[in-house]
Amino acid sequence: MYRGREGQWAFYLHRITGVAILLYLLIHVGELTAAMFGAKYSNAILHFFHQPLFQLGLLAMIGAVLYHALNGLRILIMDFTSWGTRVQNKLWYGVLVLFALLYIPTIIKILPEIFGGGGH
Amino acid sequence: MAIKTRNFNEARQQASTNIELIWWVFMRVSGVLLVFLVLGHIYRNNIVISNTSIDYDYVATRFSQPLVKVYDLVMLVLALLHGTNGLRYVIDDYVHHDGWRNFIKFALYFVVAVLIATGTMLLFSFPFDKVGG
Repeated sequence: MYRGREGQWAFYLHRITGVAILLYLLIHVGELTAAMFGAKYSNAILHFFHQPLFQLGLLAMIGAVLYHALNGLRILIMDFTSWGTRVQNKLWYGVLVLFALLYIPTIIKILPEIFGGGGH
Repeated sequence: MAIKTRNFNEARQQASTNIELIWWVFMRVSGVLLVFLVLGHIYRNNIVISNTSIDYDYVATRFSQPLVKVYDLVMLVLALLHGTNGLRYVIDDYVHHDGWRNFIKFALYFVVAVLIATGTMLLFSFPFDKVGG
């Protein structure tokens, strides 16, 4: 249908971010379930994931969710309007612009916290 | 088989079964709800506060509030079903061996069922209001 062009990139990125988000979600729910075993275990696990490596992963995950959400809205426009499919490549550039507008300030806010020793 | 199309009428014609069409609709309805639920959740826990400040007291306090319980339960169930069905499409596309495909799918369904059950227990059976700050 739109092999090798914008639509193909949009599709692959949607799949890759989707699978990554589900894998993260499995860990995320498990991590919070540890709260059932009390403050000691819960804090140990939460602090473990506060290491910079995992926080960088979390920042990447926020980007994945943001792209998946915006491109998901693009899919809805293509599915439920008569004109969406015709301009799907322009819509994808719109997705990328909105993504940058939202994600860059997020990085600027969070990145210093990861290395600045904020929080605890 | 997953439906590959670009609007509801085509989806209805292509759907191999009614259940497949219901999943097609579910992905769109849950997707639009999750945009707001998940981005709100990320904003609350990463922008309003620093994620590295989250500890047991914060989690217990949040989980003891009825509104948070409902919000998180809806988000948990929708996100896990949306993600599981999405991964089912991916597995159908790339895993061609019948035995492996079925094995991977059922392993996935099992893990997700356990997480929905434990997540619901965490939100509604555990007395966080007694231990939380």
